[in-house]
Amino acid sequence: MYKTNTLSLLRKRLLVVVTSVASLFFILFGRLCYIQLVDGKELQAKATSQWYRDLPLTAKRGIIYDSCGEVLADNKDVYTIYVRPNAVKDFNAVTTVLSEILGLDYQTLYQKITAKRVSEITIKRQVPSTTAEIIKQCGVDGIYYAIDSQRNYPQSSLLSQVLGYTDIDNNGQSGLEAYYDKYLKGVNGMVYTETDIKGTQIQGTTLKYVPSIAGCDVSLTIDAQIQSFAQSAVNNALVEWNAKSAGMIVMDVNSGAIVGMAMAPNFDLNAVPRNDIETLNQLSKNTMLVDVYEPGSTFKIFTTAIALSEGVTNESAQFYCPGYRIVDGQRIKCWRYIGHGNQTLGDGVKNSCNCVFMDLAQKLGTDKLYDGLRNFGFGKKTGVDFYGESSGIMMKQSQVKTVDLARIGFGQAVAVTPLQLITAVSAVANGGTLYEPYFVSKISSQSKTVFVRQPTAVRKVLDKETCSLVSSMLEKVVSEGGGSKAGVEGFKIAGKTGTAQKYGDGGIAQGKYISSFVGYAPADNPKYAVLMLVDEPNSYAYYGSIVAAPYAGEVFRKIFDYKGMVAESEDVEYTVMPELCGLPLTEATVALKECGVYYEMDGEGKFVSSTVPVAGTKIKKNEVVYIKITDYS
Amino acid sequence: MLKTKNFEGKFNVGLFVTTILLVAFGVVMVYSASSYSAQVKYGSKFYFVYKQLVGAILGVVAMVAMSFVDYHVLKKLRYPILAVSIILLLLVFVPGVGVESYGAKRWINLPFFTMQASEVAKFGFIIFASAYMADNYKKMTKFTGILPVLAVGAIICLLIILEPNMSITMCVALLMMVMLFIGGARIKHLAMLVIPLIALVPLLILIEPYRLKRLLAFIDPWASPLEEGYQLIQSLYALGSGGLFGLGLFNSRQKYLFLTFSESDFIFSIIGEELGLVGCLIVIVAFASLVIRAVNIAKKAPDRFGSFLAGGIASLIAIQVIINIAVVTGSIPPTGLPLPFISAGSSSLIVFCSSIGILQSIALRSHKGIKALGCK
Repeated sequence: MYKTNTLSLLRKRLLVVVTSVASLFFILFGRLCYIQLVDGKELQAKATSQWYRDLPLTAKRGIIYDSCGEVLADNKDVYTIYVRPNAVKDFNAVTTVLSEILGLDYQTLYQKITAKRVSEITIKRQVPSTTAEIIKQCGVDGIYYAIDSQRNYPQSSLLSQVLGYTDIDNNGQSGLEAYYDKYLKGVNGMVYTETDIKGTQIQGTTLKYVPSIAGCDVSLTIDAQIQSFAQSAVNNALVEWNAKSAGMIVMDVNSGAIVGMAMAPNFDLNAVPRNDIETLNQLSKNTMLVDVYEPGSTFKIFTTAIALSEGVTNESAQFYCPGYRIVDGQRIKCWRYIGHGNQTLGDGVKNSCNCVFMDLAQKLGTDKLYDGLRNFGFGKKTGVDFYGESSGIMMKQSQVKTVDLARIGFGQAVAVTPLQLITAVSAVANGGTLYEPYFVSKISSQSKTVFVRQPTAVRKVLDKETCSLVSSMLEKVVSEGGGSKAGVEGFKIAGKTGTAQKYGDGGIAQGKYISSFVGYAPADNPKYAVLMLVDEPNSYAYYGSIVAAPYAGEVFRKIFDYKGMVAESEDVEYTVMPELCGLPLTEATVALKECGVYYEMDGEGKFVSSTVPVAGTKIKKNEVVYIKITDYS
Repeated sequence: MLKTKNFEGKFNVGLFVTTILLVAFGVVMVYSASSYSAQVKYGSKFYFVYKQLVGAILGVVAMVAMSFVDYHVLKKLRYPILAVSIILLLLVFVPGVGVESYGAKRWINLPFFTMQASEVAKFGFIIFASAYMADNYKKMTKFTGILPVLAVGAIICLLIILEPNMSITMCVALLMMVMLFIGGARIKHLAMLVIPLIALVPLLILIEPYRLKRLLAFIDPWASPLEEGYQLIQSLYALGSGGLFGLGLFNSRQKYLFLTFSESDFIFSIIGEELGLVGCLIVIVAFASLVIRAVNIAKKAPDRFGSFLAGGIASLIAIQVIINIAVVTGSIPPTGLPLPFISAGSSSLIVFCSSIGILQSIALRSHKGIKALGCK
């Protein structure tokens, strides 16, 4: 095109250059218009998120009180310790101080703080203020402190499974801490700070402050004093009977309020063993309402009550016990294989004779028994304010055979939660009203009450007359029968023992029992019901009357003292344990009858091999003793 | 040869005022963009602006001085200037003299400040190429005629790429092409050069794989917002936050260490954030007027040397402004190239100011019209 390099060519080319530059400038301006005007808002919104740091202002978690205002859970100030590498003058000094005082590994810590990738390194959270004070006094540059809040349980291991615990950020994780979390946790506030990329506040900017709202305080129906009685009872039972676990519930029979709920083994809520999740899950499970068990003889209370209520029996009805019943061709043993002979209904209850209750169940028939049990709340959750409750197990009504019906009559082939059982027993105690059990009586926010729990009556189960009739029979169980170890001098206590075999791998687990006692007092004007369970006692005896009843009695006695209940004066007669070893069983029982003591026996044979207590011991009349029998004299 | 009629032209007041305004504006913007990071890094918020102020004063002095020097002196000194340029580029690699920063040796340690060798080399090349093309304008239509320019350009590019400084290398290569274009080289010959250069790009990526990541980051910066895409995203945040009128002078939020190099290669983002689209437009118009004035001076230059020189200077300013703005707006892959007259960096400032002085010197000696150049 151009043969020679002319000046007009130069002019043209300069024009091309200037035009190209102008159009490129124009294109770039267009691009700027797009970024700044079209995308601008969106980009600014994204940018804003990096311009501000929002520091949460943690709301103070609500306090948990017992029914008398004693603190069960509150908060204590702890410190988060962190290092700002920029401000550190001597990394060795910082590492030495922190590793020694906080017990951290020197090398790991040194690498952590010298990595220089971040402006702030959290060293340890939840450091007690005393420890933080010691670090402060070392006067090393570059260590910073932030105040934080940690859950504190002044009663440490009391109520482990009931109160539950929180995670490191104070969120309820289990128990009532979890169930009432949304009330307890409050609303976190926020501080917005304009910062540079490292989080340093920009000078001359103001903080935007949204205050936090403290969590609500929660008052429980639990009485810490009664709870500690229950806790020491289960702790002792665990040790004394070498048991797998033990549990106790104390309920206010006139409201369904849970006054005490203790389990052993337990753990310190201030040092939750988080390292072993499986163990922790096991330990923190509230077995009193999560687990089910076969209630055994304690269930006879309901068979009796339903039978009386339905009119299929009466106080003076007569029963005969040969030591077994043949039901549908199947032989079902009474626990006393030599039989109880002729008895009234009251005797049957006192003797806990299985035959009597098989008869009652059969007289009632499946439909009436099931209706009655359902009225007592079995087969359905109680509705307690706690997560994880079980509804218990009842056979399908249509599948209940006569054999099953007979078994259910004396507390087999049915499974209940301890809470279901004591709730139903409370209904018998209070004159027939079934209440919904509950833990929380009051929620208040900044000392203003926002919620008060009223006792919730579910339904009327029985009439008063039936209840007092059953009560009088149950009173005799304690005053004269197998529940005597639950007795407290000068007080009328109604109760029933239970000894249930455990099931495992689809069959009866040999030698594994749950021994229990349930009772209420005072029998003529009941206030408290107590259920004591000992799971897998591993000692010389497993009967509820020997293993569980004494602890219930002990707790009753303490409650009476604590509540200032006055004993009726009563003359106590004493006797001496006779020498029975080597005697034939028939002679031994006569001797015991003469002494006026009641007995439990174990083993098979015709001769007494040993007794508890040993011969010569001074014992109260109507006390229960234990004899072991063998085939040899 | 052409004869010059002394001082027929006029002192170009617009050129002078525009330059002073840009330099002054640069000092203010360097202060605004760097005060916080300087405080954090060096303990004084004036750390960068002091250097910039010294550069600005020296630059204005150099500009005035150069405008009084007859630009033909540069033609006579073209070989010493070229030699100095190349020596400076070599000195960068001498331990103790060269200063390494961000993994590249680009600066020479001088008693008062550090000098970026490539800044001098760019002008050394313009002077050499202008002189050669003016002397040999008849040969320019032949491929052999453009070879000496290519050879010198290649040597300079090679030395700069060894620092390594990819962006200045590209800039010099582009400048060389534009100068050859102005110098009358045939389009066919230029195309023969450009095509292999484009083919060179994959090779350069192979040598330094980080370049590919950067390339991808420019296409979708949000894919790696904390790594390759980070800088571009921060730049877009700044521009986007500025909107039409900006957050107000000194009110940038991105300068609080979010946008790195905010006082140098990314100062245009801060301008966009503080002064908005309007501020950006004013800066672009100022640069456009500078380039147009330089091209006009080229057209009216008394001889080919002056014309090529002015054209070269205009091209260099235009190339750097275009690349810089294209980078901060995410229009091309990110690369570090300062915005002339504004970005922090005294060597760049002094050299660019001197080049305006040269333009002034050409303008003072120019004729009424390009016809006066005329023969043939």
